[in-house]
Amino acid sequence: MSVETHQGQLGQAFTSPDPVIQQAANTANQYTEMFKAGQLTKDEYMQAMADLNNTARIQQSMNDMANLEMLNTAINGLINLASLAG
Amino acid sequence: MKKLLLLSLMMLSSCTLVDAYLMTHYDPNEYATITGIRALAQMAKEQCDDPVASRANAIKLEQDTQFFVLFSEHVPRNDDVVSASKDLHVIAQGLSDQYIKTGKVSVGFCKIKFASIESNADKMQTVIGKRPR
Repeated sequence: MSVETHQGQLGQAFTSPDPVIQQAANTANQYTEMFKAGQLTKDEYMQAMADLNNTARIQQSMNDMANLEMLNTAINGLINLASLAG
Repeated sequence: MKKLLLLSLMMLSSCTLVDAYLMTHYDPNEYATITGIRALAQMAKEQCDDPVASRANAIKLEQDTQFFVLFSEHVPRNDDVVSASKDLHVIAQGLSDQYIKTGKVSVGFCKIKFASIESNADKMQTVIGKRPR
């Protein structure tokens, strides 16, 4: 498998409906181009690519928490309305 | 209205409901800590041309993100922030280790790492800032 083959797979991810996947694919492609241009060492490139997984996990955790916050607001709002209704 | 409330609650799984209702409230110390990490990363990104300053910034960010992990991990009902803070620390530690082990880091890698810490801290700050009061 060549670099170009994997970059082609990244190209498919650009069209993903999920903006997080689109962003990750775009960033991975940018890192690969920097590595090919000699702007990153092998170790740096490998670490930068591995960081994309850490970033994806952070995004997932924060999205989960944001959903809980919205739910918390809704629950408290409904409780307040119910208490007003008597 | 009570029927509407009951119906709404029944539509949600009980675990999610409990997690949401009892979720950890806003803590200004937590918010200040993640803001400090974001601010330092933002500033450090602009100093990547200076290896001495960048090394010091990388080591400071490793320490700050480790502090945030320790700050978060014993707060009840805080799994999402604990998980995210550990991942943020891994990103920061990678840059610090690179400076300590090799003594030389490319400008491109320096910018990538600080930008990654900054954008992830920004996302975390946004969500932490919206915790229920």
